[in-house]
Amino acid sequence: MFIKIAHLSIDLKDFQLRDVNLDIEKGDYVVIIGPTGSGKSVILETIAGFYTPETGKIILEGQDITYFPPEKRNMSIVYQDYMLFPHMTIYENIAYGLKKTFDKGCIEKEVKHIARLLKIEHLLHRFPGTLSGGEAQRTAIARALVVKPRLLLMDEPFSALDVKTKKELRQLVKTALKEYQTTTVHVTHDLDDVWHLATKVVIMRHGKVLQVGPPEHIFANPTDNFVADFMGANTFKGKIIGEENGLSLLKLAEGIKLYSKDQGPIGQEAIVAIRPEHILISPKSSFSHVSNVFCGRIINTKVQGHLVWLTLDIEGLYLKALLTPNAYELMGLNERGRVFVTIKSSHVKIISSSRKDKGEFFRRQENR
Amino acid sequence: MQIRFKDICLVISVLFTLILFIAISSLFVVPKPHDVITALTSPEMIYSLKLSLITAFIATTCAMLIAIPIGYALSRGSFRGKKIVKSIVDLPMAFPELVLGLALLLLFGNTAIGKIIETMGIKVVFTKTGIVVAQFFTGLPYAVRIICSTFNSINPRYELVSRSLGYGEFETFKNVTLPLAKNGIFASTIITFARCVGAFGAVLILAGGSYMKTEILPITLYLNISYGNIGMAISSGIVLILVSFLAIAIFEWFERDNVY
Repeated sequence: MFIKIAHLSIDLKDFQLRDVNLDIEKGDYVVIIGPTGSGKSVILETIAGFYTPETGKIILEGQDITYFPPEKRNMSIVYQDYMLFPHMTIYENIAYGLKKTFDKGCIEKEVKHIARLLKIEHLLHRFPGTLSGGEAQRTAIARALVVKPRLLLMDEPFSALDVKTKKELRQLVKTALKEYQTTTVHVTHDLDDVWHLATKVVIMRHGKVLQVGPPEHIFANPTDNFVADFMGANTFKGKIIGEENGLSLLKLAEGIKLYSKDQGPIGQEAIVAIRPEHILISPKSSFSHVSNVFCGRIINTKVQGHLVWLTLDIEGLYLKALLTPNAYELMGLNERGRVFVTIKSSHVKIISSSRKDKGEFFRRQENR
Repeated sequence: MQIRFKDICLVISVLFTLILFIAISSLFVVPKPHDVITALTSPEMIYSLKLSLITAFIATTCAMLIAIPIGYALSRGSFRGKKIVKSIVDLPMAFPELVLGLALLLLFGNTAIGKIIETMGIKVVFTKTGIVVAQFFTGLPYAVRIICSTFNSINPRYELVSRSLGYGEFETFKNVTLPLAKNGIFASTIITFARCVGAFGAVLILAGGSYMKTEILPITLYLNISYGNIGMAISSGIVLILVSFLAIAIFEWFERDNVY
């Protein structure tokens, strides 16, 4: 075990952690997700050593570091609001952590290298105040990664950025992390971070860990109502078989073909996730221009609070969908009834396109 | 016509500013220029100005050296009795300077601490050292206040980032916090200095207002008013006003861009 967090509890009045247990393997990309105020940031700052837990232990590579000061842990932290030192240039910001141990020549080489990797070479002489959000966050990530931390901690790193920048930055981070082989813990409330980055998801609420596991597992098997509402999605196994008009074409195990806006190498096995509220249902076929339109049958309905859960059967593919009781009434739907199902290609998420890793992960889970 | 509350507030503030302005300008208008120049070049005035600047400089330096750690502790620390420390440090700001002077006089004159300091060869009561001490205690609360709010305005996460990159607490303070607090510290120095130069009551009680011995600018004003020497009194008033104006101007200048 790379990092073992055992029975961690802390009470900071506004935020709490209650008996948090978490195991992290070397090379994991852990995404902690939960609503605001669930104690996500506190867990990061406790791992980093900014708070001392009341009970519990943090073991890093067999060493108990629970009471180590932050500067002795070799972990870097990246915040949503960048926290670049405003009185230092971008170069000085990135070099800051290296200055402690390296000589000048070595520092320059390292800084230049990571600046090239994160595409901020041209900014090195500037001051943080003049950067855009995306540039500032790339600098913050460079500053954190360049010291080759044992663990990289990221607190909502993309939340302040626009959608396009977010997308680019996720890709860059992925590349950089691969090169530096950094184990990462990333806190977010954005499901897209889970889709694109996570190898392991931790769901938190009110300072408690509700569920831990690989993303496709959690999407498919939420253990309680909150997780189901928050994360619950239809997941399917399939294969990327082609590309058309910039969309990936997927063939699911059940034989159905789906278009997705997410990209992946052709020929690779993939796991696909579709959230129930993203499935559009109509009694008549009216969205013929949209990529994914199917004809199916309602095989089960369940009213839960203000929502109606439908189970649909599309040529042997079972799909959960969500409607308001009003819409259900208006469309005159009933059990066993025939419906048309539309799914936008941007709502078909490829959550994993690497079969080998996942296989190993599942085996590990089973061994436990 | 309806008179709005906002307008009433505006009229009050304009009237008050006007009265204050007339009061201040009368300092410059009432005396004859010739008298002022004579007064300004008199040995007493030169002595007083010099002593004022030297004592205020020393007192300010000491106050800043103490105020930075106190301000940091009050801003970042969460310790038991923090509120009490804060109120005691702030106390001199609220209670009469004369009482502060009296308290200091008793501390240095009548208690064991005073005796110990005296055996070390430092005489505080009725000496120039006393001026520095009185100014120090008058200025310190202002210094602590401004520095504390400066540190409060710096996001502690800057420090956390620095710590996580391998720097200890003091190194982080030196490399990150202090540079970020630079403008606030400078502003606080200016205000404290202005406060030290203007300190009167505490200085009068602790150091005594003796002519050409412990005579600083406010004392010069006071002594000359009591002799009926209006020219001298007004001149020292003018010098004092100039010092405060300068201080406020510099303070505003640095406050302007003190936000990171």
